[in-house]
Amino acid sequence: MKLTAQIALGTLVCFTMSCGSMQDVRLYGPSKSTSALEKFPYKILFTSSEENGLWGLKNNACKEISFETTNSYIGKDHLHIKWNESSCKYIGIGLKWGNYKGKNLWPILASAAIELRVRIDSGELSNVPMFFILEDYGGNQCRTKINYLDLEGGKIDTEWRRIRIPFQAFNYENRGVNMGNIKELRLEFQRKGDLHIDNIVIVPHTHNYAHTEETFTKIFDTHPIQLGVGKEYWWGINSKYSSDIQFGSSFKNESVILDLDTSKKKAWDTFGFSPYQWMRVDLSSIYTTSALTFKVKAAELPKIQAMLFAYSGKKRKLQKSLKENHFIERESGVFEAYLPLKSLIGYEDFRWDVLKEIRFKIMSNEPFEMGDFQLIEFRGNPKKPTKWKGI
Amino acid sequence: MERNINLFASLVFGMLYALTSQSQVRKVEVTTNAAGHYELHRNGVPYYIKGAGAKDHFDLLAKSGANSIRIWSTNNGSFLDSAYQRDLTVTLGLYVRPERGGMDYNDEYAVKGQIEQLKNEILKYKDHPALLVWGIGNEVDLRYSNFKVWETIETLAKFIKEVDPNHPTMTVIAGVDPAKAYHIKKHCPSIDILGLNVYGSIENAGANLRKFNWDKPYIISEWGVNGPFEAKTTSWKAKIEPPNGVKADQRKRRYKELIEKDKERCLGSYCFLWGQKQESTATWHGMFLSNGKPTEAVDVMQYCWMGEWPKSRAPSIRNISLENIGWKKDHVLAPNTKVNLSIEYLKYNNKKVILEFALFPEAFSNKIGGDIQLSPDPLKLDILTQSDTELTFMSPKQKGAYRVFAYVRNEKGQCSVANIPFMVE
Repeated sequence: MKLTAQIALGTLVCFTMSCGSMQDVRLYGPSKSTSALEKFPYKILFTSSEENGLWGLKNNACKEISFETTNSYIGKDHLHIKWNESSCKYIGIGLKWGNYKGKNLWPILASAAIELRVRIDSGELSNVPMFFILEDYGGNQCRTKINYLDLEGGKIDTEWRRIRIPFQAFNYENRGVNMGNIKELRLEFQRKGDLHIDNIVIVPHTHNYAHTEETFTKIFDTHPIQLGVGKEYWWGINSKYSSDIQFGSSFKNESVILDLDTSKKKAWDTFGFSPYQWMRVDLSSIYTTSALTFKVKAAELPKIQAMLFAYSGKKRKLQKSLKENHFIERESGVFEAYLPLKSLIGYEDFRWDVLKEIRFKIMSNEPFEMGDFQLIEFRGNPKKPTKWKGI
Repeated sequence: MERNINLFASLVFGMLYALTSQSQVRKVEVTTNAAGHYELHRNGVPYYIKGAGAKDHFDLLAKSGANSIRIWSTNNGSFLDSAYQRDLTVTLGLYVRPERGGMDYNDEYAVKGQIEQLKNEILKYKDHPALLVWGIGNEVDLRYSNFKVWETIETLAKFIKEVDPNHPTMTVIAGVDPAKAYHIKKHCPSIDILGLNVYGSIENAGANLRKFNWDKPYIISEWGVNGPFEAKTTSWKAKIEPPNGVKADQRKRRYKELIEKDKERCLGSYCFLWGQKQESTATWHGMFLSNGKPTEAVDVMQYCWMGEWPKSRAPSIRNISLENIGWKKDHVLAPNTKVNLSIEYLKYNNKKVILEFALFPEAFSNKIGGDIQLSPDPLKLDILTQSDTELTFMSPKQKGAYRVFAYVRNEKGQCSVANIPFMVE
């Protein structure tokens, strides 16, 4: 047997044997094993001031912390904090949690929660402006707050109420927190409050809530694209208040008839539509090779200003007044307009992945109809839109 | 035993209170009149909202002719009782966490937790006799990206329809655009009224709603002078705030010519803010100073609500300038130099007015949507001379951005205020 063949065979045997004895360990995904919690050595965060370490206990103008020995839930004493953030940017305390040993929460992430008991001296609350923060050894922090679903009795009152903070509720993924190496737990307080806290421990907990990833985005990556399909996605047409703009029927797809009196002080001269059902429209892969086109039926070319709006971004609006060189007369009185997206000033700064609306302002009094709005492929000179042979 | 007796007593008291409250519940509904115009009816009687966003100064509010307050959350139920004692109604906000506050509407746990908590609040307050309208969410649309928030709004509105047939539902948005109008119309059919927080955009709000095909009524849920987010800024990004007198004129015109005139769709309004808060400056939206004294904006609102000015009116600062350069311009000063500030004001029927001045560091903030901003502490103002209309002071020695405030008040404390930002370099 040649040496290479021997190495290959050896490697195969080795892998086969090793695999047989390997445990199913998920390096980055949360484990749902409950037995993992039994092995987790840092289940107690606070039961009394003597047993567990805290920091940030120094009183200042915004917080007053004491360890009270009467009416504790467990242990010799409990934590009592009064706070008012009026003159402070941050109010918080930290729990050293296993004396700052790096804690791997991955094995217990889906099967455990931080549990604590809280009460107030009088009255009743359904929420407290208090946040729970996990910090890893890289200084990254993730946070969450008290959720009504895990607040015993749905209220905080003079009884010791149980609160659970499932580990799954922390936004560790968004914040890039290494849940395999957690340094400490912090409690952050906002606005104003007065709370007794005791028995902060890790307990088994099932968290059956999903996290979806809906983005409300419609991606367009091929031409042609019919725009503004469905009259319910249009605005500016309301016959109860104005007959200046009405839906028409001269073209295959949606169109409007415009018969304006632009001399009116507040003329009804603008309409618009969503490219696609008022969702975010993503043209990012095709906008450089796209042109907006539509048909116009008119005795003479109307004065039209086209505007595009984005849902977000620094530059949210692009606009262009159409001129004669944007139009081709296809038959008598029927024109086609072409507006290459690259011809819009500032198009590079526009968020083409979140297109919101296409809008038109009309500056002509003569009646005409425009419609059949599409986005087509355009690879010509943006400055000479009607010269490209591809249209 | 004692605990049982206490429990029994609490139960009896609770039941009695519930029965008493129940009997006082006002039926509020949206209806249309003979002209086809929307109206709010309370116990069968047309009820036009003359309101303010308010958490304080309720006596003066009622005296000034208002009939309603708007509050933004259920954190403090005593506001309802305070309003009720003064025959004021309440548009009660259910605080729906906005995305900009960290809420993730793709997180089922967070969403359900919030809904259950707010359902509990609805049950708690639905029978309060001061309750007028539910305000479900405030500006959840501001810089949002997840349209799923409208599902939460609808879930809560639908729940209200099930458990509280006596009060209409409203959701409040930060200005209107066609996308928001569509989403609310489509996803929130249980919403009866659209609440509009509109400052500069109040000018076209009514017309735009019609253009955007919103076919239900609306309430101007916050309005006032143009907000800091709409204001011009100096070259160092300090917001330029008009003097109180200019703002007073703007308020009056907007109420009389925009709000009051839309009889067809508008059910009334809540001016902002019957109180004081820091929003770029300490005096931008608030109709009161931080010391609790009313500004001339209070007089304007009385005129709007009652049609007559109060007998004792606050003076009115119409103009302010620094080194003979008006308030709309940049003011750049050298350190530790003599500076002249002048103001023009109307005394009205006040025999005597008192002038005061204060200096603050510029309070730059990137907070939006009425989020909480901290007020800066005042600095020592080195005054050289002062007359009825002028102040001479030494500019600060330290380079930086500052703002000088001028206050004119009458002997009752009614006042007018103006300020100018300046840069020392």
